[in-house]
Amino acid sequence: MSPSTAYSRLGVERLPGRVDSHWFQPIPPVQVPTSTNSTPPLPPRAVSIRISLAKLEVRSYQFPESPHWTLPTEIAGKSHQERASVQNNNPSGGGGPVVPKSRTRLKPPADVVKLQDRLYYMLQPPLELLLSDASIDVPFEPFPYQFEGISFLYPRVAAILADEMGLGKTMQAIMAMRILLRAGEIRRVLLVCPKPLVTNWRRELSLWAPEIPLAIIEGEQNKRQWHWLETTAPIKIANYELLMRDRELFSNQVEFDLVVLDEAQRIKNRNSTTSEIVRSIARRRSWALSGTPVENSPDDLVGIFEFLAPNYLHSAMSPRQMGQAARDFILRRTKDNVLKDLPPKMFRDAELELTPAQWATYQAAEDEGVLRLSEMGEGITIQHVFELVLRLKQICNFDPVTGASSKLERLEADLEEVAASGQKAIVFTQWVTTIRELARHLERFRPLEYHGQVPSKKRDQIIEEFRSDPRRHVLLMSYGAGSVGLNLQFSRYVFLFDRWWNPAIEDQAVNRAHRIGAAGPVTVTRMLTTATIEERINQILEEKRELFSTLLSHTDTPRSAGMTRQEIFGLFRLQLPKPRGGAAA
Amino acid sequence: MANARSEPAPALGFLSVVEHAEHGLFGGYLILNANGRPLEFHCTAPVKANRAQEILYGPTLKPFLYGEQIGQTLVRKGQVEPLLICTDHEALLSVREFCSIPVVMVAGQSPFHPSLPILQFRLGSQSVAVLSTFGNDQELVQRRWQAHELKLELLEPFSRIREAIEEAQRGMRTSNGAPLSSIPAASGTVGSPPTSATVS
Repeated sequence: MSPSTAYSRLGVERLPGRVDSHWFQPIPPVQVPTSTNSTPPLPPRAVSIRISLAKLEVRSYQFPESPHWTLPTEIAGKSHQERASVQNNNPSGGGGPVVPKSRTRLKPPADVVKLQDRLYYMLQPPLELLLSDASIDVPFEPFPYQFEGISFLYPRVAAILADEMGLGKTMQAIMAMRILLRAGEIRRVLLVCPKPLVTNWRRELSLWAPEIPLAIIEGEQNKRQWHWLETTAPIKIANYELLMRDRELFSNQVEFDLVVLDEAQRIKNRNSTTSEIVRSIARRRSWALSGTPVENSPDDLVGIFEFLAPNYLHSAMSPRQMGQAARDFILRRTKDNVLKDLPPKMFRDAELELTPAQWATYQAAEDEGVLRLSEMGEGITIQHVFELVLRLKQICNFDPVTGASSKLERLEADLEEVAASGQKAIVFTQWVTTIRELARHLERFRPLEYHGQVPSKKRDQIIEEFRSDPRRHVLLMSYGAGSVGLNLQFSRYVFLFDRWWNPAIEDQAVNRAHRIGAAGPVTVTRMLTTATIEERINQILEEKRELFSTLLSHTDTPRSAGMTRQEIFGLFRLQLPKPRGGAAA
Repeated sequence: MANARSEPAPALGFLSVVEHAEHGLFGGYLILNANGRPLEFHCTAPVKANRAQEILYGPTLKPFLYGEQIGQTLVRKGQVEPLLICTDHEALLSVREFCSIPVVMVAGQSPFHPSLPILQFRLGSQSVAVLSTFGNDQELVQRRWQAHELKLELLEPFSRIREAIEEAQRGMRTSNGAPLSSIPAASGTVGSPPTSATVS
């Protein structure tokens, strides 16, 4: 700056016109003469600054529980906007706030794009605070991962909860339904499960949502029709088998806000009647619960998605593409991930040699069977091979001639220990005939039987007796009847007397005992006779398990693998017959 | 307020301002029912004082921007009248001068270090304060708190406001295709309406 000049800081002037975006602006400084200058000083220029208070723009959002909530016409019919005023759950107690240890906030799913809808979810209180409300009873505090599961389901129109068996999918689904019902976001729920699990759901609902009225659709046709149409019970439970019969009773007459499919792998085949019927139910939200949404191939997932979001996935997608597309819809946790405190699950592979009598019968049957299959030439079918496999597996259990069984010998020895220590064991097998044979030999352990030929009405009674009677040490179960949905965490021992075709089913069976509430380590004994068909099947399944793990690990999709036709033929080094009619394979 | 009533609905207001280094100040006002569920949410476009404003307003700039400009505007947008308004900023206590609802500041992890004269007291297990110039609010707030047997945790909703403001800003960026530019204080320009369900 020159010594002869100075700059006035007063040099501002009023801006012309509106003052919209700025209150004022500085103008270039005015040169003021110094005292050494002989010319008279310039008079100061007075300027006025108007500080206007223009209106600040505000975006406002009303939510359904507000008395001023009005349904925007253009989004009428959308999920959460169509709800009545919520129940007033004024806390009744006094005192300070309950301060939970952790906070689980709702996150809007990726497919919720409207800001209003996203904010609705983001501004909800943490689940822990919601559940600390005195009017929402919970029998015990859920685990943090269960809170996450509830917050995952809550905002979703389409979702798969694919937690490993035993992590409490049922409870998480019930709590999410309960909160949605209490918030008035849903009013009519249909829960579909396998028939043997209906009572389990009823029990869990009475535990986790005791105040929600429930209707179980069963009985004569008139009664069922009434249940389908009546509107007083917010939750209805139907079984898959019944949907077939009642299709005419509910289709085009009933609409649900939410349909939940338990053991949703039941609809993995999109061409099945079950899948077709389930997809025809009018609904706003669709949830699927399954510990094994992929049982045999990625196509299984496509089948389930036909219920959740039709045409969203398709078979031509690579597993990686499919996994990425499905990511926001699927929540999958394993016990290893989330239950650091769950007692360990220990596997023991009991590799046994057949007794001499069994071995003689086995060899004769295999030689004769393979010879016969070979002689069939092009007429051979998968059924023929299956028959031989089943025949050999049965011999591995019991020699049909002498009744000898190396597995039984081992089982009896182990059960002696189980009974002596006051513990209980579950024995799984594929066949009812094996269950009966075992029951005869294990009489001293007072075994109970649970399989497809036991009437549904008696099944709960059997489970209860096994649970409560200290003299009952053994429950003999078939994989089909006992592998899903039952809570048998009071058993510390599981025996797989023979092996199922699919490791996912075996996992489900094992997890009846190894689940939340397990009192101690669960020991799983997998019985396998060496140098037999059982060993060959096991080898293939283990290899496939690893392959699926590699393919789908990035999506955390549960891995599972059944056997293909080629693999089944390969058990006996047989070639697949050429397809008939000359069509390309 | 649209519906001033003799007996306010059992709702609580939570008023906060989030400072963004680039865009300026975002105001958020969340009204919850007694169960902590959201009834209304209002947020402002970003407000940024320029250099001249900083000079002219001096130490009064912050209370002016927080309380008079942002706070007052937001509270007036509320349709449900809450029993009280909670804030986590001392500068927002001045909102009380523009509304009839008691305004309390909620103490965070650390105790109050007020620059204004305040009256401290407890609501349930939580430490709060009102401006001394509105000393009668203490009795009013405590009476309402007890009458409605409130149990709400008073600090937790501010984290919701912060996340919602961030989401709203992100939503605007997405819908406009460009970052939301900061708007000078008292400006009236914003981008396109955020959703079809927006209620003004």
